[in-house]
Amino acid sequence: MQLELLGFTVRDVRFGARTDLAGGVLTVDKDALASHLLEDPDLAEVRLAIARPGDSTRIIHILDAVEPRLKVKGGGDFPGFLSTPTPVGAGVTHRLEGVTVLVTGTLSGAADSQGLKESIVDMSGPAARYNPVSGNVNLVIEVAARPGASPVESAAASRKAALKAAVYLASPTRGLTPDRRESLALPPVDGALPRIGYVMPAMSEGELHTTFFYGRSVQSLPALVHPNEILDGALVSADYWIACHRSPTYLYQNEPVIRSLIARHGRDLEFAGVLLCRCLITSQDEKMRQASQTAKVARMLGIRGAVVTMSNGGHAYLDQMLICRELEQAGVATVLGVDEYSDADGSDFPLVTTVPEATAVVSMGNQEQIVDCPAVDTVLGGTAFLAGNSYEKAFGQAPGSALSVALRQIYCSTNQLGWSTLRGRAY
Amino acid sequence: MSTFRIVHYLNQFFGGLGGEEKADAAPTLRAGPIGPGVLLHDLCRGQAEVAATVTCGDNRMAEHPAETLRAVLDLVREAKPDLLVAGPAFGSGRYGLACAAVCSAARQELGVPAVTAMSPDNPGAESRGAHVIVAISGPTASTMKADLERLARLAVKIGRREPLGAADDEGYLPSGRRVNEFGTKTGAERMVEMLLRKVRGEPFASEVVVPAFEPVPPAPPVRDLSTATLAVVTTSGLVGAGNPGGVESWRATKWEKYDISGLSELSPDAFTCVHGGYDTRHIRANPNRAVPLDALRASEREGRIGRLHDVLYTTVGNVMPVLRASQFGREIAAELRSAGVEAAIFTAT
Repeated sequence: MQLELLGFTVRDVRFGARTDLAGGVLTVDKDALASHLLEDPDLAEVRLAIARPGDSTRIIHILDAVEPRLKVKGGGDFPGFLSTPTPVGAGVTHRLEGVTVLVTGTLSGAADSQGLKESIVDMSGPAARYNPVSGNVNLVIEVAARPGASPVESAAASRKAALKAAVYLASPTRGLTPDRRESLALPPVDGALPRIGYVMPAMSEGELHTTFFYGRSVQSLPALVHPNEILDGALVSADYWIACHRSPTYLYQNEPVIRSLIARHGRDLEFAGVLLCRCLITSQDEKMRQASQTAKVARMLGIRGAVVTMSNGGHAYLDQMLICRELEQAGVATVLGVDEYSDADGSDFPLVTTVPEATAVVSMGNQEQIVDCPAVDTVLGGTAFLAGNSYEKAFGQAPGSALSVALRQIYCSTNQLGWSTLRGRAY
Repeated sequence: MSTFRIVHYLNQFFGGLGGEEKADAAPTLRAGPIGPGVLLHDLCRGQAEVAATVTCGDNRMAEHPAETLRAVLDLVREAKPDLLVAGPAFGSGRYGLACAAVCSAARQELGVPAVTAMSPDNPGAESRGAHVIVAISGPTASTMKADLERLARLAVKIGRREPLGAADDEGYLPSGRRVNEFGTKTGAERMVEMLLRKVRGEPFASEVVVPAFEPVPPAPPVRDLSTATLAVVTTSGLVGAGNPGGVESWRATKWEKYDISGLSELSPDAFTCVHGGYDTRHIRANPNRAVPLDALRASEREGRIGRLHDVLYTTVGNVMPVLRASQFGREIAAELRSAGVEAAIFTAT
């Protein structure tokens, strides 16, 4: 499976009369894009705005982030949503580098913890470096579902809008010469190199919070996936929970562990593939079945070591630790990616749970660290912080105010896929 | 900044009094550096002076800890230190325990900052109090020079009230506090690098060291449930309607109690749920799903349990710090015990 990923650098995005890409400037016909999105009968309203790096802008109510992509050859765009759910990861794909679609909104009718938790992106100031999109030009699409839509329908409408907008923005690249070409494949390598796998438990809980693999929720049995599939749009996020943990579609399209493993394939290791499974499993039997099946498949694949990440919090830690235990007991070395739940001063025990086999743990930082976010000129995405975050005193304020909040509220700040250089260290 | 004064604590051996035959030596105070203190003094390069040395036999400290520690502290106080340095104790258990005890006491009772050095597996490393920095040393004095260099560097920083960097960078044992920092490599790169080292059998340093939790032994079985008083304690986040006590939906700082005497079940008009970690709709519709008061009353009527305790204890068990949860547990257990409750059902979520 070979993927030609062709990158088009975008330095700025502007609204204009006609959508095109020239000289690194993406011009977007606002009305045309809005009517394209509003063809979905579940969508009542869209508002478009641009947030640039360094702007005094705060974006709230973020539902998902997507990198603009266009599948040119060898499959469809976002299979399972905008095309048939057949494998991607081969052929030719165009990407816009330096741009994200940020879709925002509230999930109307959703009750407290099954709904949306607040999520903040600051485009400048000390909080900006904690999120993965403040260095990009962001097209912010605030959506409202039709009145009476259920929370699941609202979320689905926002998702469709984000994916359609991502394809729409990348469409002008058709026929243009890319700025960067990457050829992604896993060719045969020297048999002496260690075979390494990536065990990727993606969040799925309830009817609203999930991760879609070709349009269907991930399951609790490990699926062997070619890394190119994930980089090419096979995984789509429906993660609306704690902001710091979020794994948006953007981070799947640019999955950092996959990128790191592909870069070393043939040099330091043989990348055997991704074992995609689930976390936030609620049944003990299902947890055990997944962990033991993952270890079994890893052994069958001859894997000597595996990176094991996680997504979200709470039970996800237990799912990860059980996988670690089973893999280690089957003779597969593991490294775990976690974030820390300590106190604001870092003095509490940092993990939710552990097993003795967890001897190699990488920390993406303590989500309780307080960050000061200065007041901003512009707020995009909504007009007031979400209710239902009663533990966050800062959310009683106007959203453009100076805030002192835990990293927990900052988009993807301690995400366990490891996109950031943030880490928790012992003092 | 002017030079600050170090008072150095040594055992009988490093203090030049003698070997095991002098292990009962009483605490003594002498001016200036002695033994390893001479090199320590030089390594402070004029920023600090080893002004005095207190020596004491290891056995005396181990066998008469209270009075010996008191005598040592008196001598330390007399020498007017800005900083107490003890050791290095290397792998010596008695010496390490003495260094940790003297440092903790100097810090707590004299308000003097303190630093010591020993090997990580020295029992003194476990016993040290908060705020005592332990520099890592080798297990024997064969690494004396490198160990004293590390100790001197830390001593100067601590004496000058400069903030210390991360434990790995500075060479001290983690104090239990963790701090976020930006590094040069992403988490993904660090995971892959650590995995390659682990698979190749090369040394690697986990970024989180997993501690062993204290096991909680199960209580003995209830001897006769049909005569026992039973209580319910819940971390499900069930609270009175309107959450009058303001229990937080996450990292709760309080627990509450509700009088349930005379209630046959929990009504959704009287109780709600403020837990922030799960879908609470079903419990809000029927609070008995979190605390099965209806079923417990039936058991009471049928004589399967003696009596249901009149007080329901609740909190939100969502990302609660371990230390706070332990404290809540002790407080609630004390109340249950004094009320004669023999067993409790814990409903979680």
